[in-house]
Amino acid sequence: MYSKELTSKKRDEFEDILEERRLSSDLRYAMKCYTPVIYKGLSPCKPNAIKSAVLQSEQVQYVIKQLAKEMGESPDIIQEEATEILDEMGHRMQLGAVRFFAFTLSKIFKQLFQRVCVNEEGMQRLQHAIQEHPVVLLPSHRSYVDFLMLSYLLYTYDLALPVIAAGIDFLGMKIVGELLRRAGAFFMRRSFGGNRLYWAVFAEYVKTMLRSGYAPIEFFLEGTRSRTAKTLTPKFGLLSIVMEPFFKREVFDTYLVPISISYERILEESLYAYELLGVPKPKESTSGLLKARRILSDNFGTIHIYVGQPVSLRTLASGRINRCPYNLVPRHLPQKPSEDIQEFVSDVAYKMELLQIENMVLSPWVLVAAVLLQNLPAMEFELLIEKTLWLKGLTQTFGGFIEWPDNLCAKKAVLSGLTLHSNIASLVDGHVVLNDKGMEDGAVGELVFRHALAVLMCATYRNQLLNVFVRPALVAVALQMAPSFRKEEVYSCFSFLRDVFSDEFIFFPGISLKDFEEGCFLLTKCDAIQTSQQEIYPTDKGSGTVSFLSAMFRPFVEGYQLIFRYLSKEMKEAFTEKQFIPAVRNFVFQLLEKGSTQCYEALSSDMQKNALSALVQLGAVKKKKMPNGLIYNVNQEAVSKILDMFDDSADAIPEHNEFLFPEYEILIEPEEPESPADNNEDEQGAEDTSKDAKEQEKLGAAGVADETFQSLDEETLEAMAKHETEEEKIFQMFKKQVAAEPEQIIRYCRGEGGPLWVSGENRPEEKDIPNCVCGAKRKFEFQIMPQLLNHLQVDSLGESIDWGTLVVYTCANSCGGANEYLEEFIWKQDYSMGCTI
Amino acid sequence: ALENKSYGEWLRELGSLSLEKRRLRGDFVTLYSSLSGGQELLKWNGWGYNDSKFIFNKKGQAEFTGKRYRLGGMVLPTFKEWIEKTFGASLEHKTTSRASLNVNDVPPSIVNEEFLQDLRATKISYSQDAEDRVFRAHGHCLHEIFVLREGMFKRIPDIVVWPVCHEDVVKIVELACKHNLCIIPFGGGTSVSSALECPEEEKRMIISLDTSQMNRILWIDEKNLTACVEAGIVGQDLEKQLAESGFCTGHEPDSMEFSSLGGWVATRASGMKKNIYGNIEDLVIHIKMVTPRGIVEKNCQVPRMSTGPDIHHFIMGSEGTLGVVTEVTIKIRPVPEYQKYGSVVFPNFERGVACLREVAKQRCAPASIRLVDNAQFQFGHALKPQVASIFTSFLDGLKKFYITKFKGFDPNILCVATLLFEGDREKVLQHEKQVYDIATKFGGLAAGEDNGQRGYMLTFVIAYLRDLGLDYYVIGESFETSVPWDRVLDLCRNVKERIVRECKEKGVQFAPLSTCRVTQTYDAGACVYFYFAFNYRGISDPIHVYEQIERAAREEILANGGSLSHHHGVGKLRKRWMKESISDVGLGMLRSVKEYVDPNNIFGNKNLL
Repeated sequence: MYSKELTSKKRDEFEDILEERRLSSDLRYAMKCYTPVIYKGLSPCKPNAIKSAVLQSEQVQYVIKQLAKEMGESPDIIQEEATEILDEMGHRMQLGAVRFFAFTLSKIFKQLFQRVCVNEEGMQRLQHAIQEHPVVLLPSHRSYVDFLMLSYLLYTYDLALPVIAAGIDFLGMKIVGELLRRAGAFFMRRSFGGNRLYWAVFAEYVKTMLRSGYAPIEFFLEGTRSRTAKTLTPKFGLLSIVMEPFFKREVFDTYLVPISISYERILEESLYAYELLGVPKPKESTSGLLKARRILSDNFGTIHIYVGQPVSLRTLASGRINRCPYNLVPRHLPQKPSEDIQEFVSDVAYKMELLQIENMVLSPWVLVAAVLLQNLPAMEFELLIEKTLWLKGLTQTFGGFIEWPDNLCAKKAVLSGLTLHSNIASLVDGHVVLNDKGMEDGAVGELVFRHALAVLMCATYRNQLLNVFVRPALVAVALQMAPSFRKEEVYSCFSFLRDVFSDEFIFFPGISLKDFEEGCFLLTKCDAIQTSQQEIYPTDKGSGTVSFLSAMFRPFVEGYQLIFRYLSKEMKEAFTEKQFIPAVRNFVFQLLEKGSTQCYEALSSDMQKNALSALVQLGAVKKKKMPNGLIYNVNQEAVSKILDMFDDSADAIPEHNEFLFPEYEILIEPEEPESPADNNEDEQGAEDTSKDAKEQEKLGAAGVADETFQSLDEETLEAMAKHETEEEKIFQMFKKQVAAEPEQIIRYCRGEGGPLWVSGENRPEEKDIPNCVCGAKRKFEFQIMPQLLNHLQVDSLGESIDWGTLVVYTCANSCGGANEYLEEFIWKQDYSMGCTI
Repeated sequence: ALENKSYGEWLRELGSLSLEKRRLRGDFVTLYSSLSGGQELLKWNGWGYNDSKFIFNKKGQAEFTGKRYRLGGMVLPTFKEWIEKTFGASLEHKTTSRASLNVNDVPPSIVNEEFLQDLRATKISYSQDAEDRVFRAHGHCLHEIFVLREGMFKRIPDIVVWPVCHEDVVKIVELACKHNLCIIPFGGGTSVSSALECPEEEKRMIISLDTSQMNRILWIDEKNLTACVEAGIVGQDLEKQLAESGFCTGHEPDSMEFSSLGGWVATRASGMKKNIYGNIEDLVIHIKMVTPRGIVEKNCQVPRMSTGPDIHHFIMGSEGTLGVVTEVTIKIRPVPEYQKYGSVVFPNFERGVACLREVAKQRCAPASIRLVDNAQFQFGHALKPQVASIFTSFLDGLKKFYITKFKGFDPNILCVATLLFEGDREKVLQHEKQVYDIATKFGGLAAGEDNGQRGYMLTFVIAYLRDLGLDYYVIGESFETSVPWDRVLDLCRNVKERIVRECKEKGVQFAPLSTCRVTQTYDAGACVYFYFAFNYRGISDPIHVYEQIERAAREEILANGGSLSHHHGVGKLRKRWMKESISDVGLGMLRSVKEYVDPNNIFGNKNLL
């Protein structure tokens, strides 16, 4: 038995089903007496009988007749076509194949996995449910192992094998495909949007299976394997098919069973990372699978399968569905679901996914990955352990379901994670580092790629945490984005983020406020924030938590900004998704090569697609269906507006591109009259010591200077000034003054003294400075230093804007009140020739 | 020639009793409360005749008393076990009704003295007696009977009047309008829709207009095969009297022993043998109704006319909200030469429904065809009397062997259709063969006449069963719907399942009896009848629980594409679903008719709208 793990919620206990397999004969197991319980004493039915029932059904016959009429073909030909579709699709469950599978899978699973842990109570509930009403199994989808494992599990517990809706690309795998089919899988084409016959046959097939209750139906709400381990937004097609028999009251009820399958190590992890980076995915083929046998020698840790409480569709629908549309049209006619039905289907889909998330087991490694990704390139081992332990507590507070045996010390947990994932990270000299050094001597591009690969693989594990963290974390991000701590403002930022990330994370539709409140509640619970009637603000104690959470989601905030920026500036023409992905990938890749961003995750095609679809939903990108696929059109202005929302964020990270100057914060320090040149040190600890309120108002708050700054190059400055030899004295003075604080960009000294001139030429006389509109004289207030050009990275001679210094004169009487903007006077002094503006 | 004469003269010419004589009879009624079919013959707190009921005799065996029914005086040996098994009921746990009405509990009569004076002047008999008033304060819904047994209605009629003819009704309605009083017409009192309950908030004097004394057949027209009948006549009297002339209407609702012609019209009734004779809307040729606006009728008695929407359809189903139906001209038929019962066993309910559908499709349905599910089959079986003879069950002896073994019929799944053929002998036999041939195609097996006959007899007797149940903490009710053919099976399954589930959820400790039968077939669908009963021991407010479950069952019916009612009507019980059933505009149309015909809501029983 597997010991009960510490969780914050009451959850079932797990049992390792492989344990017994290791002790007794697989063959005997495969040949065991298999008499699965079925729906209310129904007698089993041959798959062929089902097929002919489907073919003869009113639904399919209706569509056949319709098509025959429209295309002027004989119904027989279309009927034949339907038969072919059905053959291609239909399952042929045979006990022999099932037993063969049971035997082989036992062998393979024992080889691959340490343990396969299942909640027994869930299986018992499932057993009851199967007898009561038709059952739909809705597992999470992270790996091809999912449905093999689930069938294996059901066989082990003597339950009817599910009929699985699997992608048709499996059919490429000749032998395995056929075996799968005999084990009960049926196949649907990935896309059959236009083919009415296919849809009719497929839908009727699923519904027949469901109505008759021959076997549970199994499919993946996510539609495909999530390459990022984040739950994908649900697809509604299959779900609405399986719900229809209930809507039409052909069945009394239908049970939907959310199943969470979590892998300590995902079989396809590196494959996914390649895929996300745009290296094409190998087509599933038998030889591919055979090659995959190589991985058999590898260890993939533990699988946790949590079979959730069966959810009664009838209970969900109670009071929500208007019955009229189904009463007034014969039930066999194809009918577009009404709006409330569609909305209901979508709600149910999200609810099921949220249930999957709730019961998804998180391994310690998930915590390690989350911590590590915030501390690249290397992290001290002890610190990693400490942070991991801290994160464990936080995760449990947030309701995460962590697998962490009571007696397991943190060090061991982290170490065992590192061992299992030695392909991702390793311990070197007391530091944990990512394994991104595949080829040391590679070109820059190669290095970026290797690093991206490692980051994405690591992110796959951190992502498992995001599903649980997203609500409190987005509140944390919103707190930093919002201009104040006022609740409405924080909420409006939260709501904005929720909309932007609606495809990235799973949110139940339309309950933004509830999500916000939940996020606030969880943050309050872990003492990270305090709330009053009007305000939400981080506590002193909780600032660590808040910044951890927002750092956790920073790759998404930054990545989306990059992608949005690209769309708003570069994508002038209409484009397809096929054009968009490589283009935006190139764009990000170049930035990474230049070192002007660190956001490797923006390379992920998953994020790129989600960002695009978020813009579509926000109305900033128009999606049009064209004969050759979807065409996107960017509304640049709208995208810029969305970007502006982000830019309010204090979180936004400066980075350079062709269109915008990078962002910095300005640090204010008084200048010592004659200081020794020893203050060229780390500015992190510097504080705003200015007492001048006006100064604060004008220059903004204190912050951190950018680490990428390169110190002013003395020789360059000298070279620039060479031809001004007679003014050397002035320039030398300038240099000397500046040397005390070489990074300065602004000198503030209202009234007294004057600007620090860079040249003797082109200095204004008193008459050159016009009076203020109020009639008072203008006097010097501050000057902008040429160093700013370096920071703004517009320092290439001759090509960029340039100045020696910009001197700003303002009204001596400070007229104009506090709030309105006034036009001030600026004097531009260059190194060579001057002009005024 | 008749139109210039007074009503009295007209009747005299027709050779009926003179009004004077009828007046005398009316006074007699007042003295002795009622005449034939009147209340002293009937239970005051349950269904049907006083002398007919289920009891447990000293040996603990079930018995049906009285001599009115074929089951009368017979011992039912397996019935007790069935009750105990089905409901978990025990004979030791008994609850008894009050023995008689406690007159002190009865709400006092609100009296409008001026009206009373005017009424006396008309010589129409009336009563303010408590028992008379209570008897007309209810129908036969479960909660109504429950109140009779254990409590008291909050509002009952203040006076009962017995008009003996159309003109009496005209006078009463005029007086009610003059004094702004409320009239609630009362026919047989068999309503199961709370239609007879007095609105609690009604402050005006409520007049219960009992039509029972308007019970004559005014004339029979053999050439056109019609008869003009006063609306108060009850079903069995109508058939009996017509039979004397060799005719029948063929309209036989299950309540025909007690329900009245006027009631049928007011609720859009349906009869068992509608396949031959039609439902009430097919039978009626002419209706005369007294409304506060005056009398509504047509100028001729023709089989069909195209004169705008048929005004009969405002009247049929109006449930006493527009006026009082006084005279109805109804189609009659010669009494059929030959009647034959029959029954067919099907391996399961699905096959049975499929067979009924095929029969309906071929339009060869016998006078009546009904399909009971397995639970009702078991119930019928439990009512098998001790004496053999005609009541032998087909499950006995060889037949039982044949059905359960040879044919692979499972007694816990099989179901039975009962049939009634009518007509001339040769045609009946031919018809019978046709139906049995179809049944064979659906795996049906003919199961004898006796079983068929017994099935129909049980229809009448089953209504008595509720009173027995009530004594042993079992409450139950029936309700009906109509549904398209393709949804019959789903609806039956889902509604039964819903009932079982709701019982569980509401804390009912014993599994309920939840059973159905298909009682009528049409071209486009069928009528389905549900019986539902449960043991309420351990529940503090059984009626409330019952009503919640019944409501859930109705919701389920509607969700399954069934109608709000096939023939019971809406009353006050099902009003909440009217808008959903006929749309806002539809409801508005009905309301505007009500507003025109009865602007002061004299007919204020608050049914339907």
